[in-house]
Amino acid sequence: MNKKIKASAAIVAAFALSLGAFAATSASAATKTYTLAYQGPLSGGEASTGIDEQNGVKYAIKVFEAANPGYKINLVSVDDEGDPAVASKVAPGVGTNRKIIGLVGPAYSGATIASLPYYKAGNLTVISPSATRVSLTDPKSATVKSDYGRPIFHRVVATDDKQGPALAKFAIKGLTAPKVFVFDDQSSYAVPLRGYVEAALKKIVGASIVGSGDSVPNTTTDFSPTIAKIKTAGATVVIYTGYYSQAAVFIKQLRDSGSTAVFAGGDGVFNQEFAKLAGKSGENARLTGVAGLSDVDPKLEADFKAKMGVSSGVYAVESIDAANIFLSGILNGKTTRAAINKWVKSYSGKGLGGTSLKFNQHGDISEGGFAGFLVTGGKLVNQGAVV
Amino acid sequence: MFTVFIDQFWQLTISGIALGFIYVLIALGYTMVYGVLRMINFANSEIFMWGTFGAIVASRDLFRYNQTTEPATGGKLALVLFIQLFAAMAFAAVVSVIVELAAYRRLRARGTNRLATLISAIGMSMVLSETMRLMTDSRPVGSPRILEKVILTEVWGAQIRLDTLITIVAAGAIFIILERFVKLSRMGKAIRAVSMNEDAAKLMGINLNRVITVTFLVGGLATGAAGFFYVTVYEYTKFNIGFTMGLAAFTAAVVGGIGNIRGAFFGGVFLGLAEVYASAILGTQWKAVTIFIVLVLVLLFKPNGLFGEAVQQTRA
Repeated sequence: MNKKIKASAAIVAAFALSLGAFAATSASAATKTYTLAYQGPLSGGEASTGIDEQNGVKYAIKVFEAANPGYKINLVSVDDEGDPAVASKVAPGVGTNRKIIGLVGPAYSGATIASLPYYKAGNLTVISPSATRVSLTDPKSATVKSDYGRPIFHRVVATDDKQGPALAKFAIKGLTAPKVFVFDDQSSYAVPLRGYVEAALKKIVGASIVGSGDSVPNTTTDFSPTIAKIKTAGATVVIYTGYYSQAAVFIKQLRDSGSTAVFAGGDGVFNQEFAKLAGKSGENARLTGVAGLSDVDPKLEADFKAKMGVSSGVYAVESIDAANIFLSGILNGKTTRAAINKWVKSYSGKGLGGTSLKFNQHGDISEGGFAGFLVTGGKLVNQGAVV
Repeated sequence: MFTVFIDQFWQLTISGIALGFIYVLIALGYTMVYGVLRMINFANSEIFMWGTFGAIVASRDLFRYNQTTEPATGGKLALVLFIQLFAAMAFAAVVSVIVELAAYRRLRARGTNRLATLISAIGMSMVLSETMRLMTDSRPVGSPRILEKVILTEVWGAQIRLDTLITIVAAGAIFIILERFVKLSRMGKAIRAVSMNEDAAKLMGINLNRVITVTFLVGGLATGAAGFFYVTVYEYTKFNIGFTMGLAAFTAAVVGGIGNIRGAFFGGVFLGLAEVYASAILGTQWKAVTIFIVLVLVLLFKPNGLFGEAVQQTRA
C-alpha cells in the first residue's frame, strides 16, 4: 500500500518536473536550450548517493554553460528512491518525454532493470555512473531479456565481476587465515555481487568462507539471528553486500554484541552517510568504491566547491564524465535521441581520472576499477586501487 | 542447519523475547480496539511509527543529543529515558485519539457498517505514514545513543545487555499496569462491558463514546511505549517501519486470540521467538514465510487464536 502511494507521488513529481522543463524550454528563444535528465535516489534511505551524483551532473552543466555561451541545459531530476518499484512508475513518463535527449543514471542496478523497457521503447540513451550489476551489459546472462540494456544502456563504471574480487581482497588484506562470513540484502545488486565475492574468496589461499551466510530483506531492523550466525561460525571478517542505510543499522548491532570482526562492504555501502549513521561503530570499516574528485585533482575539487557550495560526494567523477559525454554531443549538434545514441556509441575520449571512455558493443568501458576505502575518524579515506 | 540454533540458543531466546515484548505492546493496541469496536485499527502500525519519532524528538531536540554526544549516565540517563518514554507514549496516544475522533467517530455516528470504518483505517494509516514521509524526506532517522549498551553479564553463553534488560522489565511492567487497569478499574470494567455487549452497556448508563476514546488512548499509550523501546534498542526509525512491525504485531494479536489481552502477550512473545528462531535455522529470507505458515496452521486448528477471544461474541 505504502509503495503505491509513494510511487504515485513520484509520478506526479516527475510530471511536474517535466512540465517545468517544458516551460523553461519555451521561455528563451535566443539561447539554444536542451534537456538532460538525472535518475537516482533523491529521497529515501539512499538519497545521499543520488544527491552526490546529481551534483556532479549539475557541476558539469555549469562548467559547460560557462564555456559555451548561448547554450542552456535543463536538468530533469528523476527520483526513483533507488527502488525498482518506484523506478517502474517514474520511468514511463521520462521515456515518453521527448524533450529529454539523454539521461545520466539510473544510479542503482535494480532501478535500472525496472526502467530499461521504457527507455528502450523511447530510444532514450542512458549512461550510468554507478550501476554495477553484470547482467546489464552481458548478452549471455540468464536474465538477458529483461536485464540486457543494449542499445541504450551504457556505464562509466566497472562491473561487479571486478568489484567482487576487489572487495574480497580488500576485506581480508593483512589478515592471516581469515574466516569470512558473507551476507546480502536480497537486492538485484547485492545477490550477484555476493556470488562474485564468494567465488573470489574460494580462490584465495588461506581464506575460508564460514557459516552458510544469510540473505536479509532490506526492511530488517533486528539483525540478532545474523549476528548469532556470525558468532557460531567464528568469523573474523564480515562482508555485507547491500546499501549503506541498512549497513549502518547492522554494524551498530554487531559492535554492541561485542564482536570485533572486520566489517567490509561494497560500493553500495560506500557513502559518507554510512560513517555518519554508524558513528563509532563504523570506524575501520573497509569499503570498495571509486576515487573521488579530490583524489583525481584537488584543484577540480576546489572549483567544484566554489561553484556548487558543497564538497563533491561519491561517484562525482563518473557523474561528470557521463554528463560530459552528452554535453559534447549537444555541442556537436546531436540534439535528438537518435543522434545522441549514435554519438555515445562512437564516442571516444578521456575521463577526468584519465580513464579511456569508449564503449564496447554492450555499453561497457574497458578500463576502470575499484579502490579500497577505510572509515577513519568518520571519513572515507582512500587506500588506493585494489590490485 | 541447527548448529547456530543450538550454539546460540539462549542468545537467540533473549533477543526473541525482547523483540516479542515490543510486539506485545503494539499488539495490545490492536487487540483493545478490536475488543471494543470489533474493528481492526490498521492505523495502529503508524501510531507506533509516530511513537518512535516522539522518542527521538525528545532526546534530539529537547536534550540536544546528537550522533557524536557521549551516552548519558546516572540520574541524567534515567531522566532522559523517562522523558523519551513519556514523549513516545504521549505522541502515540494523541495521534491515536485524533485518529478515532477524525476518522472513526463520525462514521459510527452515521451508522455506517464496519467495512467503511476498516477502509477508513487503511486510509488513516496511509495519511500518517505519508505525512511522516514528507516531513523526513523519506530518510531514515538515526537516534542518538542515550544508553550505553553495556553487557551486564553472561548466562549460559548469552549476553544480558542493559538495553535488552530494560526493554524486557519495563515493557513487562507497562503491560501488567495496563492489564490491571482494564481488569480492575471502573473505566476498565466499562471497557469490558462494552466489549461484551454494547447495547446492554449503554442501558447501564455507560458513556459509549467516552469508553471508546479511552480505549484508543490506552492502546496508543501501549503502542507508543513500544516505539520507545524500539528506538532504544535499534537507534533508528523511518516513515515505513510501521508496516513490517505492525503486521507482525497484528499477527501476534491474531495468534493469541484477538480481543484477548493476555493472548496478545503470549502471541507477541511467541512471534518474537518464532521470527528469531526461523531466521537462525532457515535463514532470514525464510522469516516471513515461516511466520505466516505458522499463522495459517494456528488458525486452521484454533480459528479463535491460541487463547480464543476473552468474550464470546454476543453480537450478530
